[in-house]
Amino acid sequence: MNKAELKNVTFRYMPGTVYETLALNDVSVGFEDGKITGLIGHTGSGKSTLVGMLNGLIRPMSGEVLLDGENIWEKPKNIGSVRFRVGLVMQYPEYQLFEDTVEKDISFGPKNMGLSPDEISRRVKEAADIVGLSGKELAKSPFDLSGGQKRRAAIAGVMAMEPELLVLDEPAAGLDPVGRETVFSAIADYRNMRNSTVVIVSHSMEDMARWCDVLTVMADGGVLMTGSCEDVFSHAEELKKTGLDLPQITKLMLLLREKGVPVGENIYTVEAAYAALTEIFGKRASLKRI
Amino acid sequence: MKEPFIRVENLSYSYGDGGNEKPKHPAVSGISLEIGEGEYLAVIGRNGSGKSTFAKLLNLILDPTDGKIYISGKDVTSPDMTDEDVYAVRRDIGMVFQNPDNQLVATVVEDDVAFGPENLGLPREELRKRVDDALAAVGMTEFAGYEPHRLSGGQKQRVAIAGIIAMLPRCIIFDESTAMLDPIGRRDTVEMMEKLNREKGITVITITHYMDEAVRADRVIVMDNGRVLADGTPKQVYSDRELILSAGLELPQCATLVDRLRTAGVNIPDGDSTTPEKCAELIASALKGGELS
Repeated sequence: MNKAELKNVTFRYMPGTVYETLALNDVSVGFEDGKITGLIGHTGSGKSTLVGMLNGLIRPMSGEVLLDGENIWEKPKNIGSVRFRVGLVMQYPEYQLFEDTVEKDISFGPKNMGLSPDEISRRVKEAADIVGLSGKELAKSPFDLSGGQKRRAAIAGVMAMEPELLVLDEPAAGLDPVGRETVFSAIADYRNMRNSTVVIVSHSMEDMARWCDVLTVMADGGVLMTGSCEDVFSHAEELKKTGLDLPQITKLMLLLREKGVPVGENIYTVEAAYAALTEIFGKRASLKRI
Repeated sequence: MKEPFIRVENLSYSYGDGGNEKPKHPAVSGISLEIGEGEYLAVIGRNGSGKSTFAKLLNLILDPTDGKIYISGKDVTSPDMTDEDVYAVRRDIGMVFQNPDNQLVATVVEDDVAFGPENLGLPREELRKRVDDALAAVGMTEFAGYEPHRLSGGQKQRVAIAGIIAMLPRCIIFDESTAMLDPIGRRDTVEMMEKLNREKGITVITITHYMDEAVRADRVIVMDNGRVLADGTPKQVYSDRELILSAGLELPQCATLVDRLRTAGVNIPDGDSTTPEKCAELIASALKGGELS
């Protein structure tokens, strides 16, 4: 079942001017309930426009955006409630921290939802827990946190609204390996705790391969393909043609196949490559023994 | 003995209390090293390890709390340095930053590239030539008349690089200049670094979180806690798995794979496994070698 769905959505920026650009061209795509979907595509492929569609920041010129099967623009006045149900974490969200303590910053969203003080403090505590911020950090000014902690505080601010669909645009950009790991595992924890649906936009194919259940590839304002990581990364040539990178391991497997090593086309993680290669080396060893 | 291009001696920097009562903590702590003219050097390290502070010290954006920097033998940290002397260092050592949107100042691409050299008071023809050459060097000639905000992130970075090339620098520092770019923008920027280094002999120092970028350099420096933890070729540095992990970094995936295969007893010859290309060579030769024996 799809949590959210776009049906024949078209959108142009600056229509009627010389700068008119077709950002989404008759796009139909679904985001499966309870899954983490990775949205990948080159700059200008329409990813950000699509993400803006999901929580009603951008209104389609034609077509429909469905949330749980209902058109979110049925009653435009109610679009505010959609924004409570679909949480959007923009790029570099830490630039938007503004309160004098981390705790107040994380409470900002739930407060706007008109929740009781008890409910707000429960949500703030849970969200802080998920992203790994302790009570000590909650009392600090957001500006006294490290870069990675600021990012996590900003993400917690959206998680505290407990959105059914959490959308994140490049949540780990600019973080070091440990910081990236912390952010992605917090996102996975959120999904597991709330059974919610997650959409992540990222350019890092290694991160996408590791954390996403489903990948949707966009190119030139349309959806090029959608499927499991295995399916998508086995279309290496097509991905390369649209200007996307491949995971390091996929690149390695392509090169090995060119050299005549019989490895499969659907290998994109270190674990899978390790299994395939130990088998090949193992077979060879046993042949030698004969 | 000839003085190296850049020599850093016991360099330290602490962000001051700046009135906000924070205790001073050293961001760079007693670094000593040399960088030769024409080197291609990557600096890696976790967030807060001191990489960017080190870069800002080299560019004289920050004054060291302690220690010295010599450029071609001249002490550029001496109190006798005039403003003119400082500008000369910044002409020699240019810097490209992370956010492409924060670096362009003019409303037309070629004006932006001309901004630096214009301030040198060059004759008109010389200025024209430098701008044209710089735009050609980054492959942006056809965009000379564009408004910068109509360019992609990667194109903006190339314009920022052109603005620095137009100053005819000896060294360019890229401070996480690919972090905000898509794969094409990243690839273009990294290829640009290599081209400037190989073809123009410009010293390139790249600060990056991307291991696949660092392994393309000739030399990699690992920083942690304001100190240099390791300094060597990518192969040397990445062969010390414990050190890389303890610095909060990761091995390139290909190197991890080879590591695990070796641990499982697969006989893979000693060699560089940091990039998919080199790793494929190693694994293929291991398979072949086995058949021959």
